[in-house]
Amino acid sequence: MIEVQNLSKSYNNTQVLNIPSLDIPKGQSFGLVGNNGAGKTTFFSLLLDLIQPTTGNIKNKDVIVSESEAWKPFTSSFIDESFLIGYLTAEEYFYFIGDLRGQSKADVDELLSGFEDFFHGEILQQKKYLRDLSKGNQKKAGIVGSFIGNPEVIILDEPFANLDPTTQIRLKQIIKDLAETKGVTVLVSSHDLIHVTEVCERIVLLDKGEVVRDMMTSEATLQELETYFAG
Amino acid sequence: MFKRFLSLEWKQFSRSSYFEKGLAIKILLILGALYFIACFGVLGVAAFFMIQDGFPNQDPLVVVSNFLIFWFMADLAFRFFMQQLPVMNIKPYMIIPIKRKTVIHYLLGKTTLSFFNILPLFFFLPFSIVLLVQGYPPLNVVSWFFSMLFFTISLNYLNFLLNKNNKFFYVILSILAGLVLLEYFEVYPISESAGTFFYTIYQKWYAVSIPLLLMILLYRRNYKFIRESFYLDDAIRKESQEVSSTNLGFLNRFGDIAPFLKNDVKLIMRNARPKQVMLMSFLFLFYGLIFYTQDTYRDMPAFLAFASIFVTGGFLLSFGQLVPSWDSEYYKLLMSQNIPYRKYLESKWYLMVVAVVVSFILSTPYLYFGYKIYSMIAAGALFNIGLNSFITLYGGVLNRVPVELNVKAKAFSNTQGFNPTQLLIALPKMAGPMLIFYIPYKFINFEAGILTLALSGILGLVFKKFFFNLIEKVYQKGKYKTIAAFDEKK
Repeated sequence: MIEVQNLSKSYNNTQVLNIPSLDIPKGQSFGLVGNNGAGKTTFFSLLLDLIQPTTGNIKNKDVIVSESEAWKPFTSSFIDESFLIGYLTAEEYFYFIGDLRGQSKADVDELLSGFEDFFHGEILQQKKYLRDLSKGNQKKAGIVGSFIGNPEVIILDEPFANLDPTTQIRLKQIIKDLAETKGVTVLVSSHDLIHVTEVCERIVLLDKGEVVRDMMTSEATLQELETYFAG
Repeated sequence: MFKRFLSLEWKQFSRSSYFEKGLAIKILLILGALYFIACFGVLGVAAFFMIQDGFPNQDPLVVVSNFLIFWFMADLAFRFFMQQLPVMNIKPYMIIPIKRKTVIHYLLGKTTLSFFNILPLFFFLPFSIVLLVQGYPPLNVVSWFFSMLFFTISLNYLNFLLNKNNKFFYVILSILAGLVLLEYFEVYPISESAGTFFYTIYQKWYAVSIPLLLMILLYRRNYKFIRESFYLDDAIRKESQEVSSTNLGFLNRFGDIAPFLKNDVKLIMRNARPKQVMLMSFLFLFYGLIFYTQDTYRDMPAFLAFASIFVTGGFLLSFGQLVPSWDSEYYKLLMSQNIPYRKYLESKWYLMVVAVVVSFILSTPYLYFGYKIYSMIAAGALFNIGLNSFITLYGGVLNRVPVELNVKAKAFSNTQGFNPTQLLIALPKMAGPMLIFYIPYKFINFEAGILTLALSGILGLVFKKFFFNLIEKVYQKGKYKTIAAFDEKK
């Protein structure tokens, strides 16, 4: 689904990301771990064509993302709060995304009804603008927003941060389901090694912009990651 | 303690992004401030003699006193919309051992040094000096000057309450509205008694105690208000607004740009900064009055053309120049969502066109000035729709300054969404129509000028597709730069 070739990104001759090659097959739940500055968000931003690669390219379902916009209809993402429109209520935001992705109000409502548990009664019918919600609730709205319109690729940057334990557990289940039953390619980055090993079939470890480990998740993975980060 | 606050304040000031802005902007801003200071100063010196000429039988001070009530009301209104309240970042001070009293006094004291308080002094001071030179009793003049100073500062504190306390706002608003009604229906001559009141303050020097008391009272009221709400869940917390639900279903007829249009309407209705722009563009409707009422401009139709552009183009010019900055807070969403650039731009264009049409309808009363003026406004509206809208959108991409939506623009220190490129882009928007009108006017006649101006607008509409292609390309090309610029922390 996603093919990376000779990808690198430099700012003023300082290389922040260098991935010679990386393939993510369809329906894989893919985890990205690494310390601050490892290049996780840079990678996601390149994937979403928000920054330009210095060399190489990324293909998303055979579309070179920096050259065509054809990847947009089947790709969705939530990176940070700048993916929310602060002056809308959660419903208005969901309907807006729905409009963009050709989903009627009824379609969106149906999707949302599946997330009542996840919302825990704090998102819908709140009479509050998104900018006035707490960080955690903003995140919930943003994550669910990225599920609208049957995307084939979903990119979530640090989805577990700021969420309460209940929601974290629910989110893990949701992400697993998306990859296993709906064949969605889910890309997740996280600082929480336990979550990421639980959710992802495959984990790539970045350090200073380079891939240092690329492993399929097994019983030993968590141990291996912890050993690595303990230095 | 105050010293430490001051040093923090200085750091905030000197390290703010404001200083990283280009030199040209700084010079422009300083020039702007100097311009206003000079205007007020010159008025202060000249007012006395101008009034002597205009009303030879009256004491100029009496005339000034009669006007003071309007002066202060305008001052208050201006402050309410423009003055940014200095909310010192109180949060960090709540848990360290500084007396709350000190923090509040500092906060309130700081507002006293606002440009809004200093500017009026550039009128009152020279005016008072002229009074002294003209032989008015020094004691009275000096106490009058201080009265004016105290009134001005009182307004400063009053504005603070108006902004922070809704109840207070409605009370003051109803009182002011009541007074205006009483005056208007000639039930009671408010302005006359206000005039007498202000003149009495001059006559009895000890009356300076009235504004002094008023100032102290308002200061204490403010103090109490902040003291009571010095908790995280009160005044310090950002206000969260009640949701205004709006049914914008009627916009659906615009087809696939409807979602964007609905969003833009909500953007304008729910955020402080765009609301300000709305108000400003409404005021532009009256811009024509300045030009059409004066005989000097009657013989300079090029200037009338200039004014006509503004009458219908207020919204287009003030809102349009900040496209795409309005969406800076969530630009990454728009860029990664399933949005064709074209649709995004088209919706902005329609918004501006609708605004021009609405302004044109509202400008019907200009018929009073005759069909010539009105046809000029109509031609100006066509030019705005057909050409200015595209020029404005084109200029937008050169403007990569993020805009904080729910923060009022600060007067005189506002550099948000303002840069020299913007000025360059503004030139064709204003000089263009003047030229397009003037050349045929000079060589043929007035009607030919109007016709050419209107035709140029229609021509722009004919080439709509071409312009959009051009603009879309420019936006695409600047995409990464724009995202990076909007991403910068303010």
